[in-house]
Amino acid sequence: MRPLRRVRAILAFAVALAGGLLLALPTPEPAAEPPLRVLATLPDLWSITRAIVGDLGRVEVATRPGQNPHDLEIRPSQILLVKRAEILVRNGLEEDAWIDPVVESSGNPRLLRGSTSVIEASQGLELLKIPSGRVDRSVGDVHPSGNPHFTLDPGTMPTVSASIVQGLARLRPDLGARLEANRREFLTRVEARFQRWRETLAPYRGARVVSYHDSWPYFYRAYGLIELGQVEDRPGVPPTPQHLVSLVRQMKEQGARVVVLESWYPPDTAAAVARLAGAKLVVIPQSPGAVPGTSDYIDHMDHVVTALAKALAGP
Amino acid sequence: MRMHTARLWPLPFLLLSLGSSLSGPAHAQDVDAVRQELGAVRRQLDSIREQYEKRLRELTDRLEQLETQRQAGPAPSPGPASTAPAPAQAVPLTAAATTPTAGEPSLREMLSPRQPFALAQPGRTLLFDIGVSGDFVTDLTSRTRERRRDGTFAGRENRVFPREIELGLFGRVDPYASAVVRLSAGEEPAGLEPSDRSVTVQVDEANLTLLALPLGTTARLGVMRPRFGTLNVVHQDDLPQIDRPNVLSRFFGEEQLDGEKGIEAFWVLPLPVYNELSIGVFDGDNEVAFGRGTLRDPLVIGRWRTFFELEEQGGLQIDLSAASGIATDAHRTTVLGLGAKYKWAAPGSGFPLFTLAGEALYAMRTVTAEGDDITPPRDRRFDRWGGYLYGQWDFNRRWAVGLRGDWTELAVDRGREWAVSPYLQFKPSEFLRFRVQYKHTEGTGAVERVANEVFLQGTFILGAHPTERF
Repeated sequence: MRPLRRVRAILAFAVALAGGLLLALPTPEPAAEPPLRVLATLPDLWSITRAIVGDLGRVEVATRPGQNPHDLEIRPSQILLVKRAEILVRNGLEEDAWIDPVVESSGNPRLLRGSTSVIEASQGLELLKIPSGRVDRSVGDVHPSGNPHFTLDPGTMPTVSASIVQGLARLRPDLGARLEANRREFLTRVEARFQRWRETLAPYRGARVVSYHDSWPYFYRAYGLIELGQVEDRPGVPPTPQHLVSLVRQMKEQGARVVVLESWYPPDTAAAVARLAGAKLVVIPQSPGAVPGTSDYIDHMDHVVTALAKALAGP
Repeated sequence: MRMHTARLWPLPFLLLSLGSSLSGPAHAQDVDAVRQELGAVRRQLDSIREQYEKRLRELTDRLEQLETQRQAGPAPSPGPASTAPAPAQAVPLTAAATTPTAGEPSLREMLSPRQPFALAQPGRTLLFDIGVSGDFVTDLTSRTRERRRDGTFAGRENRVFPREIELGLFGRVDPYASAVVRLSAGEEPAGLEPSDRSVTVQVDEANLTLLALPLGTTARLGVMRPRFGTLNVVHQDDLPQIDRPNVLSRFFGEEQLDGEKGIEAFWVLPLPVYNELSIGVFDGDNEVAFGRGTLRDPLVIGRWRTFFELEEQGGLQIDLSAASGIATDAHRTTVLGLGAKYKWAAPGSGFPLFTLAGEALYAMRTVTAEGDDITPPRDRRFDRWGGYLYGQWDFNRRWAVGLRGDWTELAVDRGREWAVSPYLQFKPSEFLRFRVQYKHTEGTGAVERVANEVFLQGTFILGAHPTERF
């Protein structure tokens, strides 16, 4: 009986293995492989890169729209995306450092950090909020190289898009002229809208706003808004009651009318702060695609500016 | 010291001879020669000073130019100050749209001398990541369990003890390889007396990962946690519950397959669905299942893992593993494993988060049974199995509750046990976690007992910590 039981176990194992492989049978691949296979780590970089690549290739994204990149866990599906890609567009500034172990697990050495196939979009930008002095976890989950949310300022688009084109053209010089043409067309569209966004928010220049997380310094700079403070007094750490009391008092004294909450954070605390300070809570997705119809960078920024202007306009 | 003295012994003679030469008849001629040389040196110094002053002027001009450009650039960032910042200048984006050529160094730049690659520059460090984690556990149980030392953390019942203090060093070795070293210390029972305890320091991991091998191969070499099943690769401080599931402890020991020395290769197959194959060959140092400790009788481990991305509906991971090696008694042991893990997260914030995971193991062992006056010693086969299943509900990023059920046969002895463990988790931040877990265990046969235990756990992380995996 014993040998029979062993044979049965081995057979069961083999059947399970075969079953698993059958489940993973390849589906038919598209007949023509796109010339460029690009992976962006975050949805904002994905939408910008997509505008630049156009029909010259396929751009995929490693995170879901509306997903908080600070709370990310590595999923095997991300490893597969890295495996397939030939170029990686990453944000830098520790915002998407999680991609490093993903790449190291993928068996695709072309996308390892430091490779020519890796584009870091923050290159060449004037960065905000670079912490000075001692930086450790007592100040929360800070970004030691500077605030990473630069794509929220359309004024950074020339540099960001130039870095992307430069990186793509380095690997595919034959596509350089077409990529540059796409980029100029994208910048023309952004410029036209940027003018309108500035006009929309011009009446509120100098207005004081409060953010939940430190996501918006580039956005506020672009439109002349003043960040009075943040609900999180230290990034990634729940606020203390003392901090909230102080913040509410400050908001009342200085007339802050809006609390901006990124859609991936829980609304309870921010809503309470807004209610106590007599301000309005506005929930805004920080990355494209979180709201239907906003997967394009311009549509996304349109949504953000409109939502904020509406909140600032009051009831 | 002797060499130093030996090198200095000619010095007095040199001084004496110099003194004598200065006071000799050729003194006047020598003074002229020295004066001429001093003049030449002075001229050289003047020339160098002029060059430096010229260079300094150039740098000052350059700095002023940069300052002027900066003032004409975008407005500074708004801080919490009360003054309204100027918005970015309305310079047409397309006017500033020329692709920078910063990545294309000029001939002059290429010919200019540079710092050696390996030197750290001010404001930058050339260092690997360093992280420390501390995992403290308490196993509160009855006096009987403590006296019999048969609690889940045997020999450490009713104590607060450091289960694992881990120092992790990890980073890239060069463009083609990365490495990790993890040293850990933890309290372990050393003898039969309750006071017999010791803190053992050991190398948990010290391995090199080759990242750029042909055919998409990635290989690890050194001391490691092999890829077997679902939980074996998870470190003590990252386990979903305070203790490892019973089946893993019974089949492999408290720390499961840990500290194995050998080589492991894995491949992500070029398929539309994630499929990973891995195979490893190890010495076999597991004291419970594969303790032969030699490559002449290696422990061979293989795993196949797949993952189904269900998008809004979550993700499902399935793994099949097999490990085969020789135990300390020279008999072969083979363990097969089947694991599954499902996770669903609410869109947006990712919370609430639901996890359902389990593993089943089937072990085949041969043990030599003792003989008696009538029956000679003979080999007996033991086929045993066990498994666990748990569900966890994370209300938000701070609070979670879960429930785990265990059922397992003993690896060799006659007997079986089942257990149920509800638990509560609180994470004030990403780097600090507290848990409380109740565990009720009932065993029969060689583990005949009813045990009620309450575990408390505090875990912290200092510095760097690898990103959590699915």
